[in-house]
Amino acid sequence: MLGEKFAERSAASRAQFAGPLGELPVMDAQHVGSGMPVRQASAAPERPMNEMFDAEGRARPECARVVNYLLAMESQRLAELGERAHRMFLRMGVTFNVYGNEAGSERIFPFDPVPRIISADVWAELEAGLIQRVRALNAFLADIYGEGEILKDNVIPRDLIMGSPQFRHAAVGIRPPHDSFVTVAGIDLVRAADGRFHILEDNVRTPSGVSYVLENRVIMTRIMPELMRALKVRAVEHYPAELLASLRELAPSGSSDPTVAVLTPGPFNSAFFEHVFLSQQMGVELVEGQDLACVDHKLFMKTVHGLKRIDVLYRRIDDDFLDPVVFRPDSLLGVPGLTAVLRAGNAVAANAIGTGIADDKAVFAYTPKMIKYYLGEAPIIPIVETYLLRDPDVCEMVLANLERYVIKPTGASGGYGVVIGPQASERELEETRMRVEQAPAAFIAQPVVQLSVHPTLAGADGTTLAPRHVDLRPFVLLGAKPRVLPGGLTRVALREGSLIVNSSQGGGSKDTWVLEN
Amino acid sequence: MLRRIAGHLFWAARYLERAQWRARLVDVNYHLILEVPPRDIDPWEPLLGITGEREPFAQRYAHADEASVVNFFTFDKENPSSIRASIEAARTNLSSLRHMISSEMWLEMNELYLESREWSPDTLESKGFAAFFTELRNHFYAITGIVRSTMPRDLSYDFLEIGAMLERADNVARLLDVKYHYLMPRLEDIGGPSDGRQWAAVLRSASALEAFRKLYGYAIRVDRVVEILLFDASFPRSARFSAERLTAALARVAASAGGPAAAPPAGEKLLTMLRSNTASDVIVAGLHEYLLEIEQECAAVSDAAYADYMALD
Repeated sequence: MLGEKFAERSAASRAQFAGPLGELPVMDAQHVGSGMPVRQASAAPERPMNEMFDAEGRARPECARVVNYLLAMESQRLAELGERAHRMFLRMGVTFNVYGNEAGSERIFPFDPVPRIISADVWAELEAGLIQRVRALNAFLADIYGEGEILKDNVIPRDLIMGSPQFRHAAVGIRPPHDSFVTVAGIDLVRAADGRFHILEDNVRTPSGVSYVLENRVIMTRIMPELMRALKVRAVEHYPAELLASLRELAPSGSSDPTVAVLTPGPFNSAFFEHVFLSQQMGVELVEGQDLACVDHKLFMKTVHGLKRIDVLYRRIDDDFLDPVVFRPDSLLGVPGLTAVLRAGNAVAANAIGTGIADDKAVFAYTPKMIKYYLGEAPIIPIVETYLLRDPDVCEMVLANLERYVIKPTGASGGYGVVIGPQASERELEETRMRVEQAPAAFIAQPVVQLSVHPTLAGADGTTLAPRHVDLRPFVLLGAKPRVLPGGLTRVALREGSLIVNSSQGGGSKDTWVLEN
Repeated sequence: MLRRIAGHLFWAARYLERAQWRARLVDVNYHLILEVPPRDIDPWEPLLGITGEREPFAQRYAHADEASVVNFFTFDKENPSSIRASIEAARTNLSSLRHMISSEMWLEMNELYLESREWSPDTLESKGFAAFFTELRNHFYAITGIVRSTMPRDLSYDFLEIGAMLERADNVARLLDVKYHYLMPRLEDIGGPSDGRQWAAVLRSASALEAFRKLYGYAIRVDRVVEILLFDASFPRSARFSAERLTAALARVAASAGGPAAAPPAGEKLLTMLRSNTASDVIVAGLHEYLLEIEQECAAVSDAAYADYMALD
């Protein structure tokens, strides 16, 4: 049924994206950056889509088996499975670090044992849309760090790019093999009330979360093996191999057996577990800045028996800390001289320096135009409507109804600084208003999206299933060719009514099952 | 292998060996007091001498008695060499190289760490002294056993070995040094009867009592205690045995560079010292001086290995 909905949309009406219910305003190439909000965000929250049940309470076809399985299970048993999963995570040491929490800086990412199902045809379309999107973002990066045609053609305002701190002048002229600026992307999707997936934001700097996808799957194969077998769920365990293949494809020409290393900020980083996990799974060294040295415009790591050359560096450190010669001089996390090595073409960094301009929240509004400009295609997945407050008319309009919008700072990532209008206090709204008035260009506004909900273990004793909001972060690799991990990380807001799924703010995760045809 | 990783492995092994050593010391002393009620001096104070920690102890504790010394050695978060702190340090070192060790080792290490976080002096009370330390010792044996049976004999194994064996040789020398002075001040007593139970406790601290009885029978003579703890080639916790394994691991690391054999590895001198002497030689020449030399040689080997394979600058 959902599949039909998708098929119908893709075939008939790409340009006109209004769904059957017409609930969510969406952006496409026609009205990107066109200024005035086409219509106001709806003030009354609409009924969110339930991923497992339709409006009449019937199980959706692709979920029927899971629903039957859950119904056949005593609620106590399900709670036990959840508890077992929790213990397994703790035992495996699958943790993330929480900043500013001294007492127990390591926490487990809460896991919900009820899987999220995506049918084969819905996924096929998402996959095509994700590849399209990452191709366009890479073309954009190759362009603005090269000739800048899109700026000359006035498709994107020049000052929006050049004025952004995410535009790295140090990256101009550095061109990675295959134009793979974004080798690893995590694209956040939300499913709106009409059942359609929309792009909420792109993460193309150092996106994290994929290790949870793989570990969640390991847990699920242990706690629900019979269900997994019955459903034919697409595998995810090959991701590290695919990542390694993508990275090796980036090696500077001439290295037949390239050396890949993962660069981590170290054990105190919130994603350190993932850095360890990926390097271990790929069988490559996990290095810190202190392990590296740049000599004669080449990159080396310090081994027990001397210096060893590195060809491809999968770096999980932000640009700011990567090279104290070019960026923050006080950084001890990176390695001095790396930018010069990259420029000389003697090593490749993935993702490339400067990709942050492509997931800048203001640039986001122009991504449908980018897809059209570079690929000559209509966007397959719509984006959540996005208003740039640098436009005075738009800004005035949004400020007049601030409580109806989500306000996001353009530069930040990871949910930091986001204000959700309908849930904000008077004081928060007032503070937000003042900040926006001071620097309107530093903010965007989006309508509040009623994220879809999914049955999730809840209640004090964890024995009842209740709807909780979810999103989806699929992972896209782009080396010589694109590779998409089936599914991705489903994050779930565990608190009732909450729309915030970030792990740092009370979110948990579910395993995502993409079904085979 | 990265130099930083080599350093983490080295230190993880040292801290694990240290924690294990502290646990033996506390456990054995506790049971010794049960058997031989103390006369004048508090039986817990000398332990601080063995580990060379009188000063840091005195900074934060008024009296050396059972409660304070056991707490200092076992639970004290401020004491970087306490069992709890050593376990945490070992785990911290291992956590940044989970990809270099077997997952079984990590699981066991992590479990011990999670347990140690919950410890308090009440734990000792509720579990019982003997049960607490038996459980702890079994954790250490499990980790050692997992390392032996799951880790390939490659560089990572060698650096664990180097760290553990250096710490072990050093600890044996310290134990003997302090106990010898404490229990056996006069030269003419050597070979004669002594406080058998005290020396038995020393042997037990090194898990050497059964091995001793097998080699020498029931009577405990001081020169034989020195012999088994320092020079015995077959007893796995002797200084000689540790030095053999240390030197072999250092030689393997040096050989793995693939180049021509360089200068003899750093442990060679220590090994020669332990191979070519006997208990009676060194007792006559001055045991304290000899043990001091062993401790210094351990430090020298440690420094050399660090400079050669671990230092980043």
